[in-house]
Amino acid sequence: MTIGVMLRDVLKSLFKRPVTELYPFERKTVPLELRAELTWDPTKCSGCQLCIKDCPAGAIELVVLDKVNKRFVMRYHRDRCVYCAQCVQSCRFNCLNMTNEQWEHAALSKEPFVVHYGRDEDVQFLLEKAAKEGVEECPDQPTDPN
Amino acid sequence: METRKSSEKFVVPIGPQHPALKEPGHFEFTVDGEIVTGASVRLGYVHRGIEKGAEDRTWTQNIYLLERICGICSHVHATAYVLGVEKLAGVSAPPRAQAIRTVTAELERIHSHLLWLGVAAHEGGFDTLFMYSWRDRETVMDLLELISGNRVHYSTNVLGGVKYDLDTEKMDAIRRGLDFLEERTHHYMKVVTTDETFLARTRGVGLMTREQAEALGAVGPTARASSVRRDIRIDAPYAAYPDFPVKLITDDGGDLLARFVVRLKELFESYRVIRAILDQMPEGELTTRVPRRIPAGEVISRVEAPRGELFYYIKSNGGEKPERIKVRTPSLCNWGTVVSVAVGHKLADMPMLLAGIDPCFSCNDRMVRINRGQGAQFWSWENLRQYGIEYYR
Repeated sequence: MTIGVMLRDVLKSLFKRPVTELYPFERKTVPLELRAELTWDPTKCSGCQLCIKDCPAGAIELVVLDKVNKRFVMRYHRDRCVYCAQCVQSCRFNCLNMTNEQWEHAALSKEPFVVHYGRDEDVQFLLEKAAKEGVEECPDQPTDPN
Repeated sequence: METRKSSEKFVVPIGPQHPALKEPGHFEFTVDGEIVTGASVRLGYVHRGIEKGAEDRTWTQNIYLLERICGICSHVHATAYVLGVEKLAGVSAPPRAQAIRTVTAELERIHSHLLWLGVAAHEGGFDTLFMYSWRDRETVMDLLELISGNRVHYSTNVLGGVKYDLDTEKMDAIRRGLDFLEERTHHYMKVVTTDETFLARTRGVGLMTREQAEALGAVGPTARASSVRRDIRIDAPYAAYPDFPVKLITDDGGDLLARFVVRLKELFESYRVIRAILDQMPEGELTTRVPRRIPAGEVISRVEAPRGELFYYIKSNGGEKPERIKVRTPSLCNWGTVVSVAVGHKLADMPMLLAGIDPCFSCNDRMVRINRGQGAQFWSWENLRQYGIEYYR
């Protein structure tokens, strides 16, 4: 490397603005394949629980409210999730999906990390029941594999 | 004041909080003045019980557990595991899936070698090279992120195939990235082989002959730098390597400089193979069906990780969970070379020598043997077998 090239680099670096990005004011574009937000479509789910069996982190629970009428609520523990998207792969009915839309999950308390998916009335029912009983767990819960 | 002449050895302990490396390991160097006369290594600070943990998880869950053995070569661990399980199940992933696995593995090798180049340069006090190589490494990290969405744990593999496809747009991005990296690698090759200050730290340091390398069981670039012709991608091709062969890179030097040269030349080979695969990407499905219960049996799976041969032993009893998974990582095979080659060198050369094998401490710690100091115990094979059976009962 010659002195000339070095001097050019030095002069360029003198007048260049820092390469640091001013997050959160400037945001990078999110990678297309980023696995960030798990979504669940209750209408397609058959309740086979394959996703729960395959989840390496024990991040998904399925609360069965009414098996005959297929009323399920999915409880998703965002803090346990390792974002591997194996559940998406395992689901035969394509009701699970991972999108790159919402990826900023930092929070100051633990509550936002437990997400309930399902029909609005079912989620409402479950939450009210839990509040009434003062317990979080439903009786027909599969135990955490880990 | 009296000057005491002593024949006692002077031992310099380094670690576990290591001043040079980022992972815990304990080294004891016996020195005579500046010259090292003996070396020992103690590992086991990052034992996580992964092998035992694997016995309690399903075949699918284990992919993600084993992927986390190493943060740098995560994909290659998952590849070794899925290839083994697929062999047990009697299925084989479609050609396109195998090609994508290989592309990811080679991109991972590029990222690992560039990372090593930076770390080794840093240990040698050449921080400019460290900064530049890590800046350029971002290119390949971005490519991996483009393919899989993640920079570190790509999670590309599933049992029976891969999750992600490569479309034309992504292939073009990979080609563009490789063009840039190839140009940079030529520059690094020039720097590493011509910079006098740096050559003084690498040339003739840590000299290991071919016989030594073979006797110590060295693997990967460390062995190839001592002209040992050993590369699993060539000796026992797996995934897409039978269709896209790689060229064996060796060097006769046997010193640190040769280890730099071998790894840099391997980068060029990786660029070439990735381009070849992208140009002739097989068409077809991405996954094939694998049963949830894997038929009983045992299998050995070997792959070439960036640091050398990675070995998996997988045993199934026909259930949804494996009965036993044994992992032997390349770093473990290479420790012997550091300990024996260190003798006769200056203490100041030790960080370079350690970095020269591209050590990965968390990879190593599969098992801890506690020496209680009650003297030697001799166990026959039958004793060991019985102990093993009782232990896992």
